[in-house]
Formats: sequence, C-alpha cells, structure tokens
Amino acid sequence: AMAGGLEPDLAALRREMSGPAALSVLIALLAVAVTFLIWRFVQGRRSSRKAVLLLGLCDAGKTLLFARLLSGRYRDTQTSITDSSATYRVSRDKSTSVTLIDLPGHESLRLQFLERFKAAARAIVFVVDSVAFQQEVKDVAEFLYQVLVDGTILKNAPALLIACNKQDVTMAKSAKLIQQQLEKELNTLRVTRSAAPTSLDSSGGPAQLGKKGKDFDFSQLPMKVEFVECSARGSKGEEGDADLEGLEKWLVKVA
Amino acid sequence: LLTPPLPQERGGNNSFTHEALTLKYKLDNQFELVFVVGFQKILTLTYVDKLIDDVHKEFRDKYRNEFQQKGALGLLNGTFDFKDDFMRLLRDAEESSRVRAPTVMKTFEQSLKSQKTVKCMIETRGEKPKEKVKNKKNKGSKKEGTEAAAAPSKASGGDKQPSAAGDKEELTKDEILQKNREEFFRRHMKAGEKSRSPKPDAQKEKGKKPRVWDLGNSNAKVLDYSNSATNGSAEACPMEEFDPDMALGDKNREPGRLYDLEYESEDEAEEEKVVQNTSKPSAKKGGLGGMFGMLKGLVGAKSLTREDMDPVLEKMKDHLIAKNVAAEIAVQLCESVAKKLEGKVMGTFTTVTSTVKQALQEALVQILQPQRRVDVLRDVMDAQRHRRPYVVTFCGVNGVGKSTNLAKISFWLIENGFSVLIAACDTFRAGAVEQLRTHTRRLNALHPPESHGGRTMVQLYEKGYGKDAAGIAMEAISYARNQGFDVVLVDTAGRMQDNAPLMTALAKLIAVNAPDLVLFVGEALVGNEAVDQLVKFNKALADHSMAQTPRLIDGIVLTKFDTIDDKVGAAISMTYITSKPIVFVGTGQTYCDLRSLNAKAVVAALMKA
Repeated sequence: AMAGGLEPDLAALRREMSGPAALSVLIALLAVAVTFLIWRFVQGRRSSRKAVLLLGLCDAGKTLLFARLLSGRYRDTQTSITDSSATYRVSRDKSTSVTLIDLPGHESLRLQFLERFKAAARAIVFVVDSVAFQQEVKDVAEFLYQVLVDGTILKNAPALLIACNKQDVTMAKSAKLIQQQLEKELNTLRVTRSAAPTSLDSSGGPAQLGKKGKDFDFSQLPMKVEFVECSARGSKGEEGDADLEGLEKWLVKVA
Repeated sequence: LLTPPLPQERGGNNSFTHEALTLKYKLDNQFELVFVVGFQKILTLTYVDKLIDDVHKEFRDKYRNEFQQKGALGLLNGTFDFKDDFMRLLRDAEESSRVRAPTVMKTFEQSLKSQKTVKCMIETRGEKPKEKVKNKKNKGSKKEGTEAAAAPSKASGGDKQPSAAGDKEELTKDEILQKNREEFFRRHMKAGEKSRSPKPDAQKEKGKKPRVWDLGNSNAKVLDYSNSATNGSAEACPMEEFDPDMALGDKNREPGRLYDLEYESEDEAEEEKVVQNTSKPSAKKGGLGGMFGMLKGLVGAKSLTREDMDPVLEKMKDHLIAKNVAAEIAVQLCESVAKKLEGKVMGTFTTVTSTVKQALQEALVQILQPQRRVDVLRDVMDAQRHRRPYVVTFCGVNGVGKSTNLAKISFWLIENGFSVLIAACDTFRAGAVEQLRTHTRRLNALHPPESHGGRTMVQLYEKGYGKDAAGIAMEAISYARNQGFDVVLVDTAGRMQDNAPLMTALAKLIAVNAPDLVLFVGEALVGNEAVDQLVKFNKALADHSMAQTPRLIDGIVLTKFDTIDDKVGAAISMTYITSKPIVFVGTGQTYCDLRSLNAKAVVAALMKA
C-alpha cells in the first residue's frame, strides 16, 4: 500500500517538474555539491599542518620561549595546564606565518595534548633543559621516544628541532653532548620497549625506530633533525633579549 | 600548587594545603583562568570564599574585552593592573566579616532547632525495627508477660499503618512536623508500656535480665545458667534439669534444614517508594518544556550550568558504577568533571551529553596514564650495570594470583635474557614453596642452561615454612648478589588489609630490604573493596617505615583480566587511589598471558553503552 501510494506521487512530481524546472533543480543540486567539495578542499589545505608544536618536559622553558618569540618580553610563568596558541610572523619581509602552539609538559597532560595537535604539526620544537639534563636524561629520552614512534608523526615526518635551552647557566651541557646521550639512551629504549608485553588488544607492537642492526642515530629517522642551543631567559637577565637566533633561523627555514 | 592538584582529576575539593599555607582556588572555565587565594593555615578566615568570588567577577568584567578579542596574545601583551582593585576588595571583605560576627550566633540557633526535627525523624525510623522485634518475641516464647505487651504494641502498629500509607503521598514540611509530634507523643506512651513488660520477666529470673537475640530463638531458659547454683562441683550439676525440648530449641524446626538469616528489608522498600513518588511529578512537568529546550540547546553558544549537567552526570555515574568502578571514586570523578565544565561555553551543535562524555573520557584517559611510566627492563639494565640485583616484591590480599603472575613475569624476564632468583617468602600457606619449585622446574625446562651460555636462568631460594619472611628476603638478595643474578622476585603471603600484625610484617619486610619495585597485585574482579585494600596497604607501608620518604606501592599488577569482559572499572579505581601505573595485566594462567595496559582501549570499553 505504501509503494502504491508513492508511485502516483512520484508520477505527479515528474509531470510537474518537466522542462526548465527540472533543469534548474539539477543545476542547484550540482552547485551545492561543488561548493561543498571546494569548501572541504580549502579547509583541508588551510588546516593541514601549519602548526609548530613546543614540546618538552616540565620546566624546560617552553612557555617562556613562547612568550619571548611572540612578544620579545620576559614573563613570569607557571606550570602550564593547558595549551596556548598564537600566530607568529616568521620574518619581517615575508608574510608567512606559522601557528605556535605551546603544550603542557606535565606527565599526565602531555600525551593528551599531543594527541590533539599532532595531526596539525608541520614542525616540532623539542625543548630540553640543558642544566638538569644529566638527571633527567631517561625521562627526556622516554618522551622523545613516545613522540618519535607515534604513527601520525612517522607518517607526516615533520621537521624536528631539539632546542637545548637554558644555555645562559654555566653548567649547561652542549648540544653535541646532549645529542650523543640521547642517541645512546634511545638505542637502549627501543630494545626495551619492543620487548615489553604486548598491549591488551594487541594493536601491533611499537614501530621500529631507526635501523635494526646498527646503533641508533638521529640521521636514521625519516624526518630532518637539528640541534640548536638557545636561552629563553637571555644572558643579560630578565631585562635583556633572549638568545634565540638559531631557533628563529630554523623557523624561517621551516615556514 | 598547580602541579599536584589541578592536572590530576581530583578537583572535588577546592582547597589545598602545602606546608604552612592553605590555598583555595576557583576555576573560570569560560576564559580558562584560575584564581588562587593563599593564607596561613592556622588562621580561619571566613571571608575567603566571598573574596575569591568578588575578585573573579571584577577581573572578568574589567578585562573581558582583552580575552575575547586577542586570545593568547592579549594575555601576553596586556598589562593587568589589578593591584588597587584587589586591595579594595580585600578591605571590603575583611570589614564585612567583622560585621557578620553576631549574626553567626543566630544561624547556629536555627540549626539547633532544625536538628531536633531531624532527630525525631531518625528515631521514628528506629522505632519500626524495635516493634518488629517484639512481634518476633511473640512467636517463639511462651511467656504471658510479653503477650500483654504485644497487644498494645500491635495496636500501635495498627495505628502506624495509616500513617505509613500517608507516607506514600508527597509530604509537605508541615505534615512532617505534625507526624513527628505524633511519634513523639506515642513514644512517651510506649515508654510507659515498656516499663510494664520487664516486670513480669524480673519476677521469673533473679539477677540479670537475659539478652534476647532477634535473629535466633528466644528461649531464654536454654541460655540461663543462673538456676543451677553449683560452686564448681561438676557432678552436682543436676541431670534432671536437662530438658530435651528446650535444648533442641524451636520445636517447629525441621531436622536437618538450614534456615536463612532473616533481616529487615521493609524499611528500605518504604523509603524507595517515597523517593519515587517525589521524582515522578517533576518528570511530568519537564515533558513539554524539554522539546524546545533541546532545540535551543543545539544551536548557539550557551554556557553550561550545574543544573544542565546534573542529570547527565548522574547517568554517567551510574554507568561507571555498573562497570565496576568503586562508588566513591565514580562520585569524585563526576564532581571533578562538573567543576571543570561549569561555565564553559559550548560550540554549536554540541549537546550537553556529548560535552560531558568527552570531558569524562579525557579525565579517564588522564587517570590511566601514569605520572611516571615504569619500564622494568630499562631499570634492570641499570641495576645490571651497577652489579647489583633488581629486587621486585609482590604483595596483595589472599588469592589474587601473586605466585602465578610472578611465574609469568619471570618467564618474560628470562625471554629477554635476564637471570632470575625467586625468593619464597610465603612461609605460611601450605604448598607455596612447592608451587614455586614446580614453576622453577618448568621454566628451566623451557629455557635450559645450554641455550643461555651454561647458566641456570631461574633458581628458587627457599627456607621452608614458618620462618621470618623478611630474613629470608635479605638472605636471598645477598645470595643473588654473590651469584650474579640479575633480578630477585620476592613472593609474599597473601594477607587481608585489616590484619594489623600481618601488615606490620609486610611493612617490615619492605622497609628492611628496600626493594627497587613494590608491586601490588589486585584482581580485576574486585569492586569497592579495591579502595579499602589499597588505602590500607599504603597506610601500613607508610606508618611502619623509618625513612623520611617511605616506600609506598610503586605499581599495580591487574590480574584475572580475562574473567571480566568489559566491566573494567577496577583499573580506574586502583590507579585513582594510588596514582601509580598499572605495570602488567594478567589475562590467564599460562606463561604467555602477560600484557601491558592500553589506556584508550580500557576507556573505550568503559564508556561503551
């Protein structure tokens, strides 16, 4: 009875819509579809990966670095509990800009925020506290390992910069030393992590980092990795400028 | 301040004490601000809450533009010259608190009066079981004195029935007061009756009035030994006093049948009915308005209020409890989610339910992802480099699977090339040492010394039964150091958390031997008990340790995970209480059934409808 009721309706509709009316309806539908596709395409392009993430352990100096890059002034900061994002004009003459996103480094928050922003990452700045590095080397390596084996990040391969912060303090380790220590630690970590008991729903083991036979080296990664020394506080104390030249140059390159 | 309480989802209570200061905070979720007030712990300032609210309002109104337009840049570049306003508000708050002092007395008086009516209500509920006890006495006993008391109590029971029927309608406050006054008078009358009924009892027995248990038979003669006035001469005990009828007790009992424990359940049924009826009228009113409200809620930006969130949170709380999360933890979780979302502005096309669910999901993932990941293999490698064995201690209540999971973990370690010494410190349970010996034999058969360069991968260190566990552990560790074993796994006896001497013994074992890792083994089937177990274990370890920073539980092993399909709430309860990660998950009884926790999968199973 239902089908029978529909048929005369459809026939009536078709009769009404004959001629120019049908054509106009078709054109309208087509226009809507095309607009929709264009909109999706534009949005996809716009939001795809224009972000530079600031990652690192707690107290590495990410929020101060963020403030310095954006405003040039020193600011007293607290432990971040949420992300902050702003657009940063990379250089004076070009008009390119990137979105700087400062993520919290606290252990219970970092992975959550990384999940949210990793797809949009065009580049990652991993901030390391050069003064406390010797005590924290295991935690730094663990976080770096978690960032590097992430599926989305391996796929997109954003450029990675390891910023060795707090160089204004005399006890700060050099970038070369930090690189060597991290390579050694990541070498051990990839063995222990792949040997860990498999996850509950056995979603495959963690991805292999670097080449199997040889010792781990940052050049084995699919992304470009650089090491840079910087100081967000600046050697002249709070009033002076920060030493961020290496960082700024790299940002120009990346944008 | 920010590091401990805010990131961990414990936002139920909004004050935090640190050394000599107390800090109270308030969240503004609309603009993502935190307002903190710090004051000395010894002072009790009554105006703190009001002050923080005033500061919040003023600050928000004054700088609203900067937040809305410029976002993060506004925060960075804007100067917030709030000091004068703050001093003014502080002065106002201090003055107002001083003025309010005399009025405080009055509110206390009012509360006293309201206390009285509450007390009346409580005592009326207590009346009903007492009455029922009297009725039960009638069934078993053959005394006449109690029969006399039963008649008036039955009459008053009859009076109670219409008032109980009255309970089923909605009670206004006046009716409650009226009812209370009636009960009050009735109680006075009953007290007079009660004084009558003990008199016939007193005539029959000299000395103490025997206690009548309402769950057993009330044949007092069986328990009454005051008649036989013997002075220690056993043969003088008269045989003819033994009455076989009395000894057997209730004559109506069928021989050989086990009776159930009878208990009062009628009070609860009445309470439920009252609650249901009060909730029904409110549901009817919501029907029409709900339609437009739903459409309004979908479009446009509106901020979340407590009333919007409460029904959703209730439902989520019940859902969590149904999934085996401990009740108090579910309540606290929902509280903290509510605090986090209050005042937040929702985007278009997001319902309250979806926002709350999203927030709850994030909170759960955050709880399950630990503060510090425990990587056992990495730490064992470190200990290897320092030429000392890595000591792991397993503790837990009885029957959770300590020995089984110890064997699984030693298998995993052997697979990764580390040699293991198992210390049998369970010197109480029969067969514990033999169990571990069998496991050792099996593991050695699976990994013979020939395939590992000639050294035995697993060895058992035991000293039999009945010895001191802490001593055995110490000897095992020094033996391992001498022989060059990489890991020592210490198996302890299962013990209930309430058993103080055993908890002391465990704390002593851990304090004396200073293991590298203390693992608490808990089964996934446990429900609200998990909270109690973990709290008491941690407390015992903290109390009996001599050091400044006591060794507490470092990690959790969740066992019997294959027995629950998706009621995975125990994982949440345990990690919430201790904030320590779940290191291993046991999913069976063979050596390969050892897994690590996947936080997202567990949360997905938990939130699944």
